Amino acid sequence: MSMQDVVIVAENVQKWYGKFQVLRGVSLTVHRGEVVVIMGPSGSGKSTFIRTFNALEEYQQGRIEIDGIVLSDDLRNIDAVRREVGMVFQQFNLFPHLTVLDNITLAPIWVRKWSKAKANEVAMQLLERVGILEQAQKYPGQLSGGQQQRVAIARALAMQPKVMLFDEPTSALDPEMVREVLETMKKLAADGMTMVVVTHEVGFAREVADRVIFMDTGVIVEEATPTNFFQNPTQERTRKFLSQIL
Amino acid sequence: MNQNEIIKWLRKNLFDTWYNSILTIVCVFLLVWGAKSIFTWILFIAQWKVIAVNLQLFLVGRYPEQMYWRLWVSIFIILGLTSVTIGSLVKKIPNRWLPLAWAISFSVILWLIGGGLGLQAADSNLWNGLLLTLVMAVTSIVISFPLGVLLALGRQSKLFVVRNFCILYIEIVRGLPLIGILFIAQVMLPLVLPDDITLDRVLRGIAGLTLFSAAYLAENVRGGLQSIPRGQFEAGKAIGLNSIYIMLLIILPQALRAVIPALVGQFIGLFKDTSLLSIVGLLELTGISRSILAQPEFLNRYAEVYLFVGLLYWVFCYSMSLVSQRLEKV
Repeated sequence: MSMQDVVIVAENVQKWYGKFQVLRGVSLTVHRGEVVVIMGPSGSGKSTFIRTFNALEEYQQGRIEIDGIVLSDDLRNIDAVRREVGMVFQQFNLFPHLTVLDNITLAPIWVRKWSKAKANEVAMQLLERVGILEQAQKYPGQLSGGQQQRVAIARALAMQPKVMLFDEPTSALDPEMVREVLETMKKLAADGMTMVVVTHEVGFAREVADRVIFMDTGVIVEEATPTNFFQNPTQERTRKFLSQIL
Repeated sequence: MNQNEIIKWLRKNLFDTWYNSILTIVCVFLLVWGAKSIFTWILFIAQWKVIAVNLQLFLVGRYPEQMYWRLWVSIFIILGLTSVTIGSLVKKIPNRWLPLAWAISFSVILWLIGGGLGLQAADSNLWNGLLLTLVMAVTSIVISFPLGVLLALGRQSKLFVVRNFCILYIEIVRGLPLIGILFIAQVMLPLVLPDDITLDRVLRGIAGLTLFSAAYLAENVRGGLQSIPRGQFEAGKAIGLNSIYIMLLIILPQALRAVIPALVGQFIGLFKDTSLLSIVGLLELTGISRSILAQPEFLNRYAEVYLFVGLLYWVFCYSMSLVSQRLEKV
């Protein structure tokens, strides 16, 4: 593959919280249109790792390049990267004082400087795509968890990002709502979106992922296709982890 | 309700046991007795002439009579804007021009009252009574609010100098009594300022109130800011907003709404605190009452005067309280 097909390059990323090292040299390359699922026990650094991609977490050593922009301390670079990277959080983090529609159009209007009419039009298309068009005028607090997470996906998509990060998007949901969110993510993957997903959803990883990455104690332990990962894991730690969740 | 139901209700709620019956009778007796003495005093003993004769002094003091039309225009503007605002709140149609309209009319009203720029000037020594109380309270509230928000943000700033300056300011002001600050503003401000800048006494009063109120506001707003979860900041960053937009569009609207009751409580306090300015010689509502009480023909009319003045303070404070309840529901 040529360099233009690479969206994320992370090389030897290292991060400390005080004396504790959370990331001990993690490297990852993600190509355009690829879906990468990151799994691992809690505290393994997987969330911290993907949060370095849009500079929600700083890192002390290594190098991260998103769509050709090197993430450095330069604020302009950070802003530029954040415009191209969408993120969906475990706790949705919708803005409770704004309607669903205003949640989605906020960034396009203030960051992309779109007209309100254009932003609304795009937002309505996105709401239709995630299947909650009729909720546009409601406030987040009036929606179910699954609906809120789909609004959050639409909000991230509104900036037309090159890559979408998902930080345990279904972990805070009631079981019956998990499916509707996963379906939305599957559709997104089918449409060719580049995605990095931290999740415990084995079914999703099997069905949608191009690659599964297993992290533990701040390093990548194993990296494989879903089939190999779940059926023939090479590492002892991966086998132990899989035996606990399968 | 027919007679039977009334008797049933009385039995159930007021006379259900012998001790409740005694309590009811005693309370009714006290209420009737208290109401009777109050009304007897208001209607037959009190001499309201002191209010009637001095009504103009209470309301506007020595404000020149030929300029009263300016005050009427101001009242007209305020009433007009208030009804439009209430209308848009009740119908829940936000009107983006309303804040601007309020801001413009605020300066227009100050201009109308004070004159200048083509209008004949009305010296601020002549604005007394309720007029002065309102001007000082509203101006201090309007100026101290943004100042308080800035101090609250500054206190959380990552910049060492900014943060520590804000902390120092807030902690010093909060440790001083308001009356001390008002004296400082009246007596010491002229000493510090260069000779060619002279602030009149009203402005010095407003400065004192504003500086005091801003420090307390800052602490209230900080409470609101801290109640906003970290995820809101992160979500704002993740969709590409810069930190100014995150503050203005996401954090402050939520933080300020969360502390509306505390803010309005503080504004009510500030409104009443203007009465302390009578001690440093300003003739606002309390000050003018004291000079009215010094009139030879009304020497002992304390009860009438302070009851009347108290009623005026109450009307405005209670209105603010009503507005706050309305705002919380928006």
